[in-house]
Amino acid sequence: MKLEAYRKAFEQLAAGLGDTPSRDSRRAQFERFAAVGFPSKREEDWRYTDLASLSEKQFALPADGGDALIPQALADSQQLVFVDGRFDAARSSTQQHIGNIATTETADDDGLAALNAAFASPGLDLQLAAGQVLAQPLHLLFLGSGSATGTMTHQRHRIVLGSGASASVILEFARDSADERLATHTLSIELGANASLRLYRLQRESAGATLLTRIDARLDRDSRLRALCLDAGGGFVRHDCNVTLAAPGCEAEVHGLYVPQPRAHVDNHTRIVHAAPHGRSREHFRGIVGERTRAVFSGKVVVQPGAQKTDSEQRIANLLLSKRAEVNAKPDLEIYADDVKCAHGATVGQLDETALAYLRSRGIDAATAKALLLRAFALEILDHVEFAPLRRHIEDILDFPDDPELDRLIEAIA
Amino acid sequence: MLNIKDLHATVDGKEILKGLSLTVNAGEVHAIMGPNGSGKSTLAHVLAGREGYSVTAGSVSFDGKDLLTLEPEARACEGVFLGFQYPVEIPGVSNLTLLKAAINARRKYRGGTEIEAGDFLAWIRDRAKIVKIDPKMLSRGVNEGFSGGEKKRNEILQMLILEPRLMILDETDSGLDIDALKVVSDGINTLRSPERATVLVTHYQRLLDYVQPDFVHVLARGRIVKSGGPELARELEEKGYGWLEAA
Repeated sequence: MKLEAYRKAFEQLAAGLGDTPSRDSRRAQFERFAAVGFPSKREEDWRYTDLASLSEKQFALPADGGDALIPQALADSQQLVFVDGRFDAARSSTQQHIGNIATTETADDDGLAALNAAFASPGLDLQLAAGQVLAQPLHLLFLGSGSATGTMTHQRHRIVLGSGASASVILEFARDSADERLATHTLSIELGANASLRLYRLQRESAGATLLTRIDARLDRDSRLRALCLDAGGGFVRHDCNVTLAAPGCEAEVHGLYVPQPRAHVDNHTRIVHAAPHGRSREHFRGIVGERTRAVFSGKVVVQPGAQKTDSEQRIANLLLSKRAEVNAKPDLEIYADDVKCAHGATVGQLDETALAYLRSRGIDAATAKALLLRAFALEILDHVEFAPLRRHIEDILDFPDDPELDRLIEAIA
Repeated sequence: MLNIKDLHATVDGKEILKGLSLTVNAGEVHAIMGPNGSGKSTLAHVLAGREGYSVTAGSVSFDGKDLLTLEPEARACEGVFLGFQYPVEIPGVSNLTLLKAAINARRKYRGGTEIEAGDFLAWIRDRAKIVKIDPKMLSRGVNEGFSGGEKKRNEILQMLILEPRLMILDETDSGLDIDALKVVSDGINTLRSPERATVLVTHYQRLLDYVQPDFVHVLARGRIVKSGGPELARELEEKGYGWLEAA
């Protein structure tokens, strides 16, 4: 039977819940998932990311007590550590902001959302009152234990900022094991008037991992969302990021850099909806795509009727490092207002051989020269990372030849 | 120091150098002149190891080593420097990043340690003065937003900083006004020493008023057709290249 293993896992979960309303609503979600299943390649939004094979998988729920190697904490931040989808209080620096997000209604045709809602385990629940400022960035680490082979985890998260509140949140997905695993995450964001959120999503999953994330953000008057997505892993990854500028004067920045490892698949789907006037959105994505790797970018910008004075810009640039690399980049604009500024552009290019030759002629070996040029290409995105410890961490992940001492020198001399 | 024997080289399957021979000893300055398309730049690029240029016959030795088998970066570390006719702009890689990486590559090649930040900065400031470049400009991307003259001065600055033993300057004087030409010439003359050699590839005699060559060669149709002293350059200035090409 189709999706049989998922049903078995759900019954196991339901048995543990007893006769509760939560069980019933989860069951309703599961039945919805069972009826619709995973999205099909025939759907335009899933053309390049085929989830068909997931239907046949035998994913189980992870056992308790999984242990993972915890990476060194970033300076000046608070850690929330999740291992195999469970909050690990002992390894976290704070116990705050964790919650079981009530299973909300999902759209009838959205099998993935229903799957996530049916199985959801507790995740981030950050709620800030009006004017409240989160002192340090919250760093969420999603890790996997060695014993979680063939398992799946599903988590729901929520960020609600009251008017004028502000926060920085880092989501880092780093299950480092070559086993097959599935994880889904949904994050709903509500920004009150004049609130400000910086959101970083880092992905360095290993081969074998399937990661499906979805962010839905709703921005109220004059609020600001600044999101940055980094993909540097080797897994099969799909991210959806939907932002609605629901009231006048909002600003949304959604930037991304993908540097997938060989054989990885990274699909970024963004949808920015300008539903009110005087909104500003910026979307800059850059990709460095190598051997037998596929990257997909689809960026939809919708300017609804009445969203006058919208100022929107979308820029996508890709570097193809191999003939066996594949990039599918699709800008997609729908504009229903007449007094707007909407720019977009997508490019695909190769490493600049002339620049490479120039650096080598000065004695710099080919590998270092290439790394310097790749970093130069990525800088436009990296420069959006304002939290210094995170910037360092990202450069480490990317293995770029950074030199903090030289950076200080450059700043001093400039 | 540099020994080129019967060098043949092709670009895109077309033979550009057709049996070029040249010997350059330490302490000497050689000027290579010649009409457009004679192979001057090809010679410079072949010596630096630029991809896309294939040597089909002949040999080049540098201090007894077979230069042609070395990677471009190894040639640089051995002490060969090419000043480009058209220096490349590299936004995102600062001049200081390039310079530090180049200095350390050289040190590593010779088994040394990396340069200290303080020493690096002092050395850069010292050298930048010679070519009248504001060190502030060096925090920018390589040649990013530099004028034509600034790019050429930046080539000379890199040379002054890296202190090569063989300096090959490919039309470094082209497109310079007289003030910039003086600055560039001062830079070249600063490095002139009994241990170093210079090959000036140039189209114009003007540079040679500021950097006195020991030898002048005329390159035509892929080989050296005439060699002489500084007086040959003046002769070329008066008569042009026609009389040699016809010969």
